[in-house]
Amino acid sequence: MSDADTPTDAEPSHDHEHHGHEGPGYATPQAALEEGEREELAYVMSLYTGTDIDEPDFVAVVDLDPDSETYCEIVDRLEMPEKGDELHHFGWNACSSSCHVEGLERRHLIVPGQRSSRIHVVDTKDRRNPELVEVIEPEEVFEYDLSAPHTVHCVPDGKIIISMLGDADGELPGGFLELNDDFEIEGRWEPPGEIEMNYDYWYQPRQNVMVSTEWAAPETYYPGFDLEDVEDGKYGRRLHFWDWENGTVEQTIDLGEEGQIPLEVRFLHTPESTHGFVGAALSSNIFHFWYDTEAGEYRAEKAIDFEAREHEDWEMPVPPLTTDILISMDDRYLFGSNWLHGELWMYDISDPANPRRADSLSVGGTFGDVQEVQGRELAAGTQMIQLSLDGERLYWTTSLFSTWDDQFYPEEAEKGSVMLKADVDPRNGTLELDEDFLVDWGDCPKGPARAHEIRWPDGDCTSDVWQ
Amino acid sequence: MTETYAVTVEQPDGSSRTVAVRANETVLEASERTERTVPFGCRTGACGTCAGRLLEVDEAGDDGDGDATDGSAGVADAFEYRREPRALKPRHREAGYVLLCIALPRADCRVAVGSRARRDLVDNPWK
Repeated sequence: MSDADTPTDAEPSHDHEHHGHEGPGYATPQAALEEGEREELAYVMSLYTGTDIDEPDFVAVVDLDPDSETYCEIVDRLEMPEKGDELHHFGWNACSSSCHVEGLERRHLIVPGQRSSRIHVVDTKDRRNPELVEVIEPEEVFEYDLSAPHTVHCVPDGKIIISMLGDADGELPGGFLELNDDFEIEGRWEPPGEIEMNYDYWYQPRQNVMVSTEWAAPETYYPGFDLEDVEDGKYGRRLHFWDWENGTVEQTIDLGEEGQIPLEVRFLHTPESTHGFVGAALSSNIFHFWYDTEAGEYRAEKAIDFEAREHEDWEMPVPPLTTDILISMDDRYLFGSNWLHGELWMYDISDPANPRRADSLSVGGTFGDVQEVQGRELAAGTQMIQLSLDGERLYWTTSLFSTWDDQFYPEEAEKGSVMLKADVDPRNGTLELDEDFLVDWGDCPKGPARAHEIRWPDGDCTSDVWQ
Repeated sequence: MTETYAVTVEQPDGSSRTVAVRANETVLEASERTERTVPFGCRTGACGTCAGRLLEVDEAGDDGDGDATDGSAGVADAFEYRREPRALKPRHREAGYVLLCIALPRADCRVAVGSRARRDLVDNPWK
């Protein structure tokens, strides 16, 4: 490729001790792979919002230790203080981006309510019995004319930045909310007016860049997916590249008709890289983006195109709906899920401009070859994914968003979500469904619940960033 | 004394219960004093989780007919909004939908709540 990896001569912004670092996380992505132990627990966002069960959402603690008597069980449920949150995405107070900061620990989970705009802080000192320690009430968030918290990333020195999708009324523009290390609102991270739509973001501090994506205004996506809103231009299709230090948008790329609703966005883990990927959920395409040194700007090109498929029960071809992606810690594979089709896929990205299909699994959803595991009907498609640090186990849940679930998989509300697992062979590039693994949210004591994002206590492939 | 309206909430399981709602409070707020709250999410009228469908307006408190099948006229008679009901499009309001997290009652009425009542707000556009 003609482009180079490094847009500037930027040096690491701190004196990096590659061994024996004092702070949280790992010195490098390779260190995470080597030093990270097998995940024994998962925290999973679990919800009743939007169902007919009059209960608060909860953080589920799932036992992933195959030697444990409670393997594949939800061993703890931390209920939120109020109903109606719609727990969705969440993140840590600190990760490898603060690995040089002595005394800082990866210990507190920041757990926002996507609908309520309430932000919870959960202490995981006792990993199996996390405790709620702080609540930022919606009224405090609305004071900054922001709502609908989504992606949580910790940034160096204990700060936390949350992408916010709307203003206090649920209209545009969204923005970013900054919390300090005491979990108090510090203010808006960016000067208001930099963007209209917002969704996910990722930053690559050594390149002084952040990239953010676009869903829609909360008032548009909250009630459900309406194709008329797409026709009216109310859904996003742009990427924003920010000056990370200044908090200003330096470049916006319109992905066009083939890039509608760009959701999850990931830079490669290596801090040197300017390459990344974004999944355009509605168009069901993956775009590769990178810094083109000759042009002096970022570029984005469609790299993977998933095709709609005919189904006898559907009037129109069924779009795959590519709702989640992640990159293995060794930057070798891109994994993703096509929620409406029921497909998990794995692409070799050793040449990021030319992803090569390695393997895929057809499970759940509209077309999945496997429609039940251990006799449990899956009732929905492959959705939020998480990968073990060593890249050998891929887990996923099945709920997207309560109102959208009700449109496309109404039976999930009555049956609850499941969490499933595939064994990955990174050497040979293969995926195999582990039929011995099933976590069933249909068995929750207060009734069937939905399950969304997954994290491991010691960091994972979507939590950590390196300076 | 603040005027109070009887809002009968029809649950997804077919059962119903009547909630006494003061004129200056929302149906959600009044339901929070009872054993079971009506479903809700954002509490600002943006998300539609609290959407109910008006089934009937009590004629005694209404100068028109009690039939809510005429949609928006019925809803407009039965409720005032505390703020803009952003989650509802005109077609939803015409179909008799009401956002109970921001709706202040103006008549005794009967409303269906829950996932079944919300089902027709949006459908699968491809199926």
